Amino acid sequence: MTQPLLANYFPILVFLAIAAGIAVAMVGGSVLAARQKPYAEKVSAYECGFEPFDDTRRRFDVRFYLVAILFIIFDLEVAFLFPWAVALGDIGWLGFLSMMAFLGVLTVGFIYEWRKGALDWE
Amino acid sequence: MNWTLVLPELVLALAGLAALVAGVLPKRDTSFAINMGVFGAMLLAAVLVMAQPEGTAFAGQYVSDAFTRFMKLLVLAGAALGLLVAMDWNVKEGLAKFEFPLLLLFSSLGMMVMVSANDLIALYLGLELLSLSLYVIAAFNRDSERSAEAGLKYFILGSLASGLLLYGASLIYGFAGSTNFDRIADAVSATEGVPFGLVVGLVFVLAALAFKVSAVPFHMWTPDVYEGAPTPVTAFFASAPKVAAIALLTRVAAGPFGELVEQWQQVLILASLGSMILGALAAIGQKNIKRLMAYSSIGHIGYALMGLAVGSDLGIRGLLLYMAIYLFTNVGAFAVLVAMRRNGRALEGIDDLAGLGRTDPAMALAMTVFMLSMAGIPPLAGFFGKLYVFLAAVYGGYWTLAVVGVLTSAVSAYYYLRVIKVMYFDAGEALDARPTSLSVVLAGTGLFTVFFFAFPAPFLAAAQAAVAALVG
Amino acid sequence: MYVGAVFFPLLGACISGFFGRWIGDKAAQWASVICMALAAICGVSAFIQVAYGHAPATLEIATWLDVGGLQLSWALRYDTLAAVMVGMVTVASTMIHLYSVGYMSHDPTQPRFFAYLSLFTFMMLMLVTADNLLQLFFGWEGIGLASYLLIGYWYEKESANRAAMKAFIVNRVGDLFFMLGMGLTFWTFGSIEFNTIFQGVEAARQVTFAGFPVVEVIALLFFLGAMGKSAQIGLHTWLPDAMEGPTPVSALIHAATLVTAGVFLMARMSPVVEYAPNVLGFITFIGATTAFFAASVGMVQNDIKRVIAYSTCSQLGYMFFAIGVGAYQAAVFHLFTHAFFKALLFLSAGSVIHAMSDEQDIRKMGGIWKKIPVTYAMFWIGSLALAGVPYFAGYYSKDFVLEAAYAGHGWTAKYAFLMGIVAAFMTAFYSWRLIILTFHGTPRADHHTMEHVHESPAVMLIPLFGLAVGALFAGAYFSGDFVGHHWAEFWNGSIVNAPHNHIMHEAHEVPSWVPLAPTVVGVAGIVLAYVLYMFLPHLPGRIAAAVPGLYRFLLNKWYFDELYDRAIVQPLRRLAVQLWKVGDVKIIDGMPNGAASLTAQASGRVVRFQTGRVANYAFAMIIGLVLFVSIFLFGVGR
Repeated sequence: MTQPLLANYFPILVFLAIAAGIAVAMVGGSVLAARQKPYAEKVSAYECGFEPFDDTRRRFDVRFYLVAILFIIFDLEVAFLFPWAVALGDIGWLGFLSMMAFLGVLTVGFIYEWRKGALDWE
Repeated sequence: MNWTLVLPELVLALAGLAALVAGVLPKRDTSFAINMGVFGAMLLAAVLVMAQPEGTAFAGQYVSDAFTRFMKLLVLAGAALGLLVAMDWNVKEGLAKFEFPLLLLFSSLGMMVMVSANDLIALYLGLELLSLSLYVIAAFNRDSERSAEAGLKYFILGSLASGLLLYGASLIYGFAGSTNFDRIADAVSATEGVPFGLVVGLVFVLAALAFKVSAVPFHMWTPDVYEGAPTPVTAFFASAPKVAAIALLTRVAAGPFGELVEQWQQVLILASLGSMILGALAAIGQKNIKRLMAYSSIGHIGYALMGLAVGSDLGIRGLLLYMAIYLFTNVGAFAVLVAMRRNGRALEGIDDLAGLGRTDPAMALAMTVFMLSMAGIPPLAGFFGKLYVFLAAVYGGYWTLAVVGVLTSAVSAYYYLRVIKVMYFDAGEALDARPTSLSVVLAGTGLFTVFFFAFPAPFLAAAQAAVAALVG
Repeated sequence: MYVGAVFFPLLGACISGFFGRWIGDKAAQWASVICMALAAICGVSAFIQVAYGHAPATLEIATWLDVGGLQLSWALRYDTLAAVMVGMVTVASTMIHLYSVGYMSHDPTQPRFFAYLSLFTFMMLMLVTADNLLQLFFGWEGIGLASYLLIGYWYEKESANRAAMKAFIVNRVGDLFFMLGMGLTFWTFGSIEFNTIFQGVEAARQVTFAGFPVVEVIALLFFLGAMGKSAQIGLHTWLPDAMEGPTPVSALIHAATLVTAGVFLMARMSPVVEYAPNVLGFITFIGATTAFFAASVGMVQNDIKRVIAYSTCSQLGYMFFAIGVGAYQAAVFHLFTHAFFKALLFLSAGSVIHAMSDEQDIRKMGGIWKKIPVTYAMFWIGSLALAGVPYFAGYYSKDFVLEAAYAGHGWTAKYAFLMGIVAAFMTAFYSWRLIILTFHGTPRADHHTMEHVHESPAVMLIPLFGLAVGALFAGAYFSGDFVGHHWAEFWNGSIVNAPHNHIMHEAHEVPSWVPLAPTVVGVAGIVLAYVLYMFLPHLPGRIAAAVPGLYRFLLNKWYFDELYDRAIVQPLRRLAVQLWKVGDVKIIDGMPNGAASLTAQASGRVVRFQTGRVANYAFAMIIGLVLFVSIFLFGVGR
């Protein structure tokens, strides 16, 4: 029982190994090949314009949240769309219409955001 | 795939989407039109619910029977009344945004899905749709610190409860091998000796649902949220979602886990006892009437759970009737609270009711009826609600429950009577004139409360049919 | 039609009660009168259809209660017994409504009065058409409530309030027994629907309760309940005081409705009562004693309405001993005729009071018969019927009651017969004493009042005529059906005589002097009254002076009120004071106060958990969860 189950995950292990290999190759290549000239601003981590190490209770603009939430919604939409597209041949009209309904709901939400001005930065 | 079965939910969902677009596209204020539209959609859904055939849909995830019909009608009635109660208040408080009725509509949709859920996933779907809407309307008055606090508290604790629910659901799925209630029921009855994990999963689910109905010891959020949220929102909180959550609790306990009655019974007995006692005791010292109603609702949930805890058909029937009566009495009482407004400012203190007996005798009379009904004074509706569950407890031999129930209702009568005393014997200034919509709600719920004793038959018959459908 | 007879009065009550203020006094009055008249039309046609068409019916209106083993419906049960009552109540009540239009014309709150009056009638109709004991009890309590409202109608008067309270409280004593009886019935038969009860009687005869046959206990409890409503000796004290209400109320309460509820209850429960021979003996004894007692008191009273009130009390005694000897039909027949002539008497008395500018003391009347001849004639007709003079309504029923008593078995029946004859004599005597003192002799009222004496308006006289027709002919017309040779088919099983009970037959075969006896003593009473008050007006005073003890004994109503005051009220009050000082202040108050402060403290503790911090709340939830899981694991909490 356990043997075939683990075997199913083998491709993932391969992917992980390749990903690790590429990451190591890119960072290692840059260390080896490029010219190193570090200064304080350059080595600090960059996170949406905030100080990486700071008081967590600092105020910042709520619009960042809004963007993040909107991003998640549409990101998820895409995440659903990929497997759906792959399996569309098997799930037939019901599957197609279900996704259309889902997109319809999202569209209504999008119209709402848009009209409410959630997409305008200023 | 039987689409006609889900017609009420479908209509409600489409109406919600359409209203969302219709509300946001025009430049002018559309809140009144949307209010009316949502009200109409709820009525239409109620009519469709009445005509709903029985059966299952979505591969057994969705079920429709006499039980769901009874509960959905209650839920829709509660939501529609909540909307009526809120309309005028929102205008006066500057909260007349079209999102409010929409949130009520989506929460009703969530509740209907909950009621009809026959699968853990459908259950979670409905519960979350409800909860997310409720989090938002709890904080609907964005400029009020208290409202925002209420919303945040509710959100954090609610997510905790949702987490518990999901954890329990996954345990159940792991040990029963299915999320469908019928399959779970098979798993529960088939195996000799129920798997331990299944029982723990059940406890987690029960705990999450107990949070939604605000039964002790998961009641802590109730007073704070009730007090902080805008009054009509509180009215809504205390009525329809409670009914839906109780429906879900009943469905889960009596349906898939009906075989485990001896196990969950003890938990429910404890929750019922705790809720009754806490509801009676904690309300005594309250000065804020919304807080008082919060504790009172905890107490009422205790009485209702008594019906489920005795684990008999009679008990469940008592529970259903109790919820129906509680819903209408509660909405009526909150309609009075919503009408409490002097010189344009909304009031929340019990003392602010002083002198109502002279300044607005009709409303004082209605409030008296609601308070006496909640205290269980015959021949008002509340008395019959209590009578049915107490009788079920006595028939089942659960004397502790019955005796504690009677004692706590005696204690709780004290604070209900105090409200009446304040209205009739203390001096106070007149309130602002009450709007027509509230008068309609007051008259309707008041007449129901007073005259229930004469025409209980249709309610009894409906509840009986619901129990028969549930227990099978 | 069946529904209309019962619910038209309710409609009338609602119209004049809720809308009286908007539609005005006149409209409210006539609305309730018209509703009553419609009810009477329905009631009479229902009576004809049920009693003469032999078509008893039961109408289900709605399911009322369905709790555990107890299932009840609102239903109207129309058998002959109910139909007789419905017909009688609606007709009498219509007359009284109509009369009230005139009598109450100077009252400031007429809609309220008519609403109460109609409500009262509705409750009475609910009582007589009840299909089960609980519905009957609903009507029973309803008339109790309505009579409280009506007796205390003039609530500005201290005495009216007291009388209303007294009636309510004394009735409550009876109601307690009624409720106990109802409970025991449910325990025995498993139902309180009449059909089920009556079918189960045979089986229940074997059952015992606390060592006694259960049927006897049930019958006794119901009779004790009936005693309160029907003012039998011991629980009669409220009845004379109830005269504080407006006169139409007295007529309604004493003639057709409230007080007859007890008799009706006994007749309704006849299938059960029949098998309780000891209780029947007790009923006979109480009834006979009441008949005698009330008549004796009536002889010396000076308030016109009180005399009639005691005569009601006495006539109720007749009805009860008729029940006691097993002749329920006779009791209902007497109830039926009594309704007409007693309503007539009361309304005539009201007419007199109206004419005399609200004077009720007969010592201050006299010499007015020429000024109000119609009222005078009506009073005669009523009194003749009451005294049982041949061919008037009372003759047929009272005669039959006494024949039944003579034919009855056991010493109680003999006692009842004897008491009945004596009471018949006294009845005739005080009736004519009343007539003579009221209408004849020299005027004793002051000049101003006498000038003012006038005949009542037509709206008050028409009901008198209607009732007079009843008092004249109701007995002769109906006696063949109620108690004559057709009684079995007329009652059609709605009243049950046990197989061993042949009273209805035996009562017709008594020696020939028995039917004559009441007439003879009645006429003797009339003659004596004429002699004493018309021809030798000094004699009564001398007789009273000769036996002062007896006179005072009667005048003070056998000292019942004083007895109750001494034996019950004062000890109770002393006990209450003691209980208040020691028990209440120290112990009881201590306990609830202690409990209350304990509760308040507990409340404070419980509330302290409510910190307002989300973390604490979440912590409490987790603790609760752990608790729940532990319960599941270890099975605590059973």
